[in-house]
Amino acid sequence: MSTATTRRPAPARRAAPRPGPPRLTGRRLAPYLFVLPALALFAAFKLYPIAWSFVLSLHKTIDGTDTFVGADNYTRLLDDPLFWTALKNTAVILLVQVPVMLALATGLAVAFNSAVLRARAVFRLGFFLPMVTGLVAYGVIFSVLLNEKYGLVNWLLQSVGLDAVPWLTDPLWARISLGLALTWHYTGYNAVILLARLQSIPRELYDAASVDGAGAVGAFRHVTLPGLRPALLLTTVLSTIGTLQIFDEPFILTHGGPDNATLTIGVYLYQNAFTFFDFGYASAIAYALAVLIGILGLVQFKVLGDKS
Amino acid sequence: MDITRRGVLRAGGALAAGAGLSGLTACSGSGAAGDSGSGAAGSATKGEITVWSWAGPAAEMKALVPAFNAQYPDIKVTVQDIGNPAIWDKITTALAAGGSGLADVLHIGVDYLPGYVEKFPNGLADLSKLGANQYKDAFAQGMWATVAPKGGRVNALPWEANSAGFYYRADVFEQAGVDVKALDTWDDTVEAGKVIKAKTGKYLLGIDKPASQPDAANFFQMLLQLQGAFYFDLDGGITLDSPQAVRAMTLIKQLNDAGLVSDLSGGWNALISSIKAGTNAVVPWPTWFGGIIEETVPQEKGKWGVRLPPTVRRGGSNAATVNSTHLAIAGSSKQQAAAWKFVEFVLTRPENQVKIYKEKGIAPALIKAYEDPVFHAPSEFFSGQKKGEIFLNALEAPSPAYNYSADYARALKVVTDAQTKVLLKGADPAEVLKAAADQLGQQTGRKVVR
Repeated sequence: MSTATTRRPAPARRAAPRPGPPRLTGRRLAPYLFVLPALALFAAFKLYPIAWSFVLSLHKTIDGTDTFVGADNYTRLLDDPLFWTALKNTAVILLVQVPVMLALATGLAVAFNSAVLRARAVFRLGFFLPMVTGLVAYGVIFSVLLNEKYGLVNWLLQSVGLDAVPWLTDPLWARISLGLALTWHYTGYNAVILLARLQSIPRELYDAASVDGAGAVGAFRHVTLPGLRPALLLTTVLSTIGTLQIFDEPFILTHGGPDNATLTIGVYLYQNAFTFFDFGYASAIAYALAVLIGILGLVQFKVLGDKS
Repeated sequence: MDITRRGVLRAGGALAAGAGLSGLTACSGSGAAGDSGSGAAGSATKGEITVWSWAGPAAEMKALVPAFNAQYPDIKVTVQDIGNPAIWDKITTALAAGGSGLADVLHIGVDYLPGYVEKFPNGLADLSKLGANQYKDAFAQGMWATVAPKGGRVNALPWEANSAGFYYRADVFEQAGVDVKALDTWDDTVEAGKVIKAKTGKYLLGIDKPASQPDAANFFQMLLQLQGAFYFDLDGGITLDSPQAVRAMTLIKQLNDAGLVSDLSGGWNALISSIKAGTNAVVPWPTWFGGIIEETVPQEKGKWGVRLPPTVRRGGSNAATVNSTHLAIAGSSKQQAAAWKFVEFVLTRPENQVKIYKEKGIAPALIKAYEDPVFHAPSEFFSGQKKGEIFLNALEAPSPAYNYSADYARALKVVTDAQTKVLLKGADPAEVLKAAADQLGQQTGRKVVR
């Protein structure tokens, strides 16, 4: 191949300092040309909206015209009880559902990895499948399943003599339903990430642990968990970002109700933009959320990340 | 704390991931939609126009296209059923995007019209420039004030005008031995409901208690409008915790505490299921809902009756125009003149409105349409009653103007939350409404009038 010869390093004596930057021609230019479409799309559909959203967050529509109001939308957030309710609800999901889900995912990953389990591929597939289900489709299915009067779940409960549960109509149960739906959807996904990491833990470490007298619990605590650390960090950060942005499930299942029990920041943002036409305020919420996610991400890296 | 370059990059990544969501609002644009509002674009005799509506009305407009084309053969009309409530999001985003992708003709409810007009001043064409003013007196009273609140500019043309109604299962009332005609006030109705519950096991009526849809406040709103009151006064002040509102919410609490309210959580589907299952004795919905009942339970012909609702206070009114819908033309439309011809054809020709009423029971705002015998004929489904005349009487009765304002959606949100607190947690009506009014004031900067 002719290309093999072109890569020959230049003789050292010719490496005299060259005047000016290298010219972007031919081969040097090609990579930039190739990434240009992606960059242009990124700029048009990501950077521009993000920047424009910030501009919007400093404006308010007064009598049909966009008026610059400075930080008004941001200070308004501080006095808005619904924003705090949404923040609180989102935090509850973050503090309750995410740890439960990740613990479950870790358990599943260990089970998937176990030689004792037969037909492992079927189980892995089965638990991962919810992830590829369309968000709206599964939201609708859950709302049908959990319907208080006509839902399958209550029908089953009642057929064994239990009382019907107000899944979506009682504030506490609505939160639990939301948690159940989220867990069903994302546990398998996290388990697969953890499983991938689990398979990279050297077998010898377990052998060494066993030689040192560690049982199953000891091996899990001293080998599996430390080995999973980077994957746990990844799943925690991804779940945090995902949870803070959560929108589809509460929007479809409960519309944020009853009485704002499942109102999340994502749903509140949507309501402000597309129900109340208050784009400036919605943008301010989006930016507050982005800052929050940034801070939480940073904290998680500091706490869980490697100390190197 | 030492922040490494890697740490900063990581945080930046997380921040960008968060900001990804902010892209959601970024398609909102500047709010200055369209360039015209001039109301004269395009030819009046040829072109292609698109119409956005939902379900029944969309089907009816589609059915009118051949007749329209007999007169305007060169105007091609495409009617799209966008679905309700999906249509509101779709119109909002398109208006916010400067009108791009918007249909030429838009079917808009009274609850959304003021918001669109206020937030997107040029989003809708000014129909006065197309000749709308000649129809000023053609519609039911109060309707012109709704479409042209400041006079001069006309934002839309009225289509349906719905009066508060009281559909009931005549057979259930009979079985319980309650004379439905004798119910003068809602207090009487609470007592009747107790008898019906005891004798037949049926609830008096249903409400979407956890407010899974904004429709959940329809009954509350009707009780308010029967008293001539609303969420805002005509100057835009908040009147959410007025004595009338407290009275309406207290009535709902009384009904609920007496076990007379079934839960319609799930919104529309639950409502239709409850009608099929015969859960409730009364469906307190406006004019257009009669058509839905006929469609849903055709086998119950003769078992249903209809009347205007009881009054909230003895001697008060039992007539209220509780909502209306309209056809508007997009300010960004290049075919405004052709679009106007279609709007005019559908809304100002009595024969077309009569056809729509016959097929879907949608009540016209066009007064001349009521000259047709169909409005004065006994209805087989409603036990031989003259349903059309009942609602025509309501439409002709004095009806105050209601100010929906641009903040109606926000008001509805705090009202449905307040109602849920009352229905699910037994909260005090006066207290929750006061809190709701204050919250609305905080959110909108409007004054709470007390």
